[in-house]
Amino acid sequence: MQFDARLTGDAATLARAHEEVLGRLPATVRAFVLVELQKWPALFAPEQRYQRALLGHLSRLPGPELQLAVAGVARVENEAGVSKLGGGDPGRFQDDAQALLRTRRLLPAWRKEIDGFFQQIDPALNAELYPADAPRRLVVQVYGRGIAVQADKLWSRFKGTGVRVPLTLEGTAGSDAFLRGLFGGRESGATSPALLAAARESAGLGPLDTWIIESHEALHELCDGAAGRAPAEPLTGLSYDRLRQYRDDLTKALYAKIQSGVESPQAFAAYARSLKIAPGPGALLHAADVLRAFVREVLLTGNGTLFVNNTFVEWAAVQALRRAQPRILVTRFGVRDKLKPFSSLLLFSQPRASDQIPLLEDPVGSFIDAEQLSYYVWLNAEKSPAYRTRTLYLFLAEGIDEMLAIRSDVPAATASVLPAASLGDVCATMAQWLAVPARESWGRPIASLVL
Amino acid sequence: MLVERAKNLLMTKMSRSWDPGLALRRRDALKFLAACLADFWLPRRAFAQRAPRSRKPERRVIVVTFGGGVRYEDTLAPGGWINIPHLATEIVPQGLVYPVARYDGITGHFNSTGALVTGCRQEVDAYGSEAPVTPTIFELFRKEHALPPEEAWVIATNKSFGLMGGSKIRAFGDPYSANVVLPKQLLIETIKSAVSTETGPGVEDRQALAERMMLALDEGYEGFGWKVFESGRTLGAELKKSLAKSLLDYFNDPTVPTSGDELTFFMTKEIMNRLAPSLLVVNFWDIDIAHYGAYSLYLEAIRRTDRLVHELWLHAQASPQYKDRTTLLVVPELGRDGDVVGNGFANHRSGDESCRRVWLVAIGAGVPKGAGTERPIKTTDVAPTVARILGFKMPECEGKPLAELAF
Repeated sequence: MQFDARLTGDAATLARAHEEVLGRLPATVRAFVLVELQKWPALFAPEQRYQRALLGHLSRLPGPELQLAVAGVARVENEAGVSKLGGGDPGRFQDDAQALLRTRRLLPAWRKEIDGFFQQIDPALNAELYPADAPRRLVVQVYGRGIAVQADKLWSRFKGTGVRVPLTLEGTAGSDAFLRGLFGGRESGATSPALLAAARESAGLGPLDTWIIESHEALHELCDGAAGRAPAEPLTGLSYDRLRQYRDDLTKALYAKIQSGVESPQAFAAYARSLKIAPGPGALLHAADVLRAFVREVLLTGNGTLFVNNTFVEWAAVQALRRAQPRILVTRFGVRDKLKPFSSLLLFSQPRASDQIPLLEDPVGSFIDAEQLSYYVWLNAEKSPAYRTRTLYLFLAEGIDEMLAIRSDVPAATASVLPAASLGDVCATMAQWLAVPARESWGRPIASLVL
Repeated sequence: MLVERAKNLLMTKMSRSWDPGLALRRRDALKFLAACLADFWLPRRAFAQRAPRSRKPERRVIVVTFGGGVRYEDTLAPGGWINIPHLATEIVPQGLVYPVARYDGITGHFNSTGALVTGCRQEVDAYGSEAPVTPTIFELFRKEHALPPEEAWVIATNKSFGLMGGSKIRAFGDPYSANVVLPKQLLIETIKSAVSTETGPGVEDRQALAERMMLALDEGYEGFGWKVFESGRTLGAELKKSLAKSLLDYFNDPTVPTSGDELTFFMTKEIMNRLAPSLLVVNFWDIDIAHYGAYSLYLEAIRRTDRLVHELWLHAQASPQYKDRTTLLVVPELGRDGDVVGNGFANHRSGDESCRRVWLVAIGAGVPKGAGTERPIKTTDVAPTVARILGFKMPECEGKPLAELAF
């Protein structure tokens, strides 16, 4: 079966280099690879590395071994009559093949064989992509002030995991002071907090290696230039609030489409994909094309990400962990608004000002949400070989004198009671974990977490 | 006597009218009266031909779904009881609980509820553009007992359930389907049209909104969430007016909570009060707010559904038409993804065990009190169980009647 993928640049070079092995793959697997290559400019570096590793690995497999690895998929394809479908655009072929498999009731069997195929090759790919001596990673999750934290239920999903560290919070009242204390303050002329700046300098991290994702703007304000919201380049930042105009523009476009009539959910999704709307200047700290594509996908394909700030934080974080695999990820959940009555079908509409019901915050519900969503961020990170066994996870709530710390290489909870630590100590701990030179002013690392 | 009944009915309708402009018009009233008089004066033989062998059973069945899907761990598991206090403390102790139920089909809303009402897994369009491919309990029930459409109802919050009332089987379909009402969709569409343009009345002007709603109903109510079948000469129109009035009463009452499921509950009570159908399937669906990723809203919706199920049961027990002859079956249409293996509560696409593990609670006529059984059942068992209770034949299907119930 011939596909017309119309690849260009590096993707075309890669496909040409592995033309032979691509030709020996079952059609659905080949189409998958080609669709990924078509997206090449919108892929993050780890995704591109994965595609290179995948094709390289398959090319190195001896013929009979490759044939054995794909035999199950090929068998289901034959049974379904996939070969009768035309080639052409691989994306379109994928849709047609899925529909055919569904019609023939072979979709579950095909999925099972695809899972089996990747389970066979993933160990080798993971060993190549994520060697044991790969650098450590850091994930920090913060509950913003205003969330109605119930101390007795805090991080209850993590029962039996990690260690609780008492905190002393003198002089850190307010979100700004808390976050400055946690990330080492910001030095004069810098465009990011001291810890993140030091990590960038010492480890040579690029903007896509450090991400902050938040419902509001407190973390972004730590990174703003002297002129207020001048975009800073050193790191990647996504703020639900700062993307308001972009979200509104997308919402208006989608609502207009609904009003004019939608043929099917699939057609609606295709229309959403075709929209040429971009975030305005200053909405993103780092506005690379790959990131614009990422934000757009998060808002258009994530459940509820257009409408619920903390859902946006969680989904964007999970996608960033899966795709961009940053060395440092900081999430900050906030208070979400209550949903308005009967709003579920009116979400895309833009009611007149006179019809708008005032917004009410839901601090209690936001706590329940943040508990679940921060747990999901951790779960998804641990599913990724990039993070498993090499990541320090810290969970903090502004104004709460306790922290949960989980080392993914030592996840079991320890019974020992740790001495109270300051936010400076936490900052020094993060620095040591990342092998970043610590500033004297930060404090002392918490030994049990970093040794 | 029939004339008196017709007069009483009309007087009742007139006196309950909230707005003279919406009351039955004189011409319509006279038409209705004339029809009743005609019934009275027609020869008995002709009357018998028009209403043949109709056999309404003694028993009633109400199937309520936790639509949208709930996870066992968030509901019937010990840690989830806090979210279903009414089921846990009021319903289960008086009924029978099956804690191990399973749904094996495609994990979407239409197909999972389709399996409930047919006893067979369905693999039709997930968004409701296709009817089930095997006969529904509504069709089988009505056909075998020669019952009119008002005997079987689907009241659904899910807007894609318009075709849930009947199958695409040639020998069944519309002549035997259930009435389907999607109250939330009707209300939402009307509000949307009112607030979306500068020329619309806005939601502040309730009177104008009410007029717009009536206009919407007159112009094409099926598109707005109604599929109410004609029975005899006038029922469709009368029913439409009656239910539209209920809806407007609801919307005009500032004290009522405003959620889709509250509206579905309200409409279910209206239908029970006015028509006392033998078979109702009630789809609560606020729970699907889970797709927005807010766990607290999902739990809140579960608690609301739990409360509404209890209130519905109390309503049935307070109604002479339903008291002591009604069996209530409560079942989630499907589960939702697990946290570790699946994609979390927000989705139901992984097909993992959490997506398929549900439960069933039965209460009322024929149900042993305070019982429970670990016997695993399937959600496809609901349809043949309803068939046994209401006394109609169920063609071969994947499910089996729940043997623990007395038929």
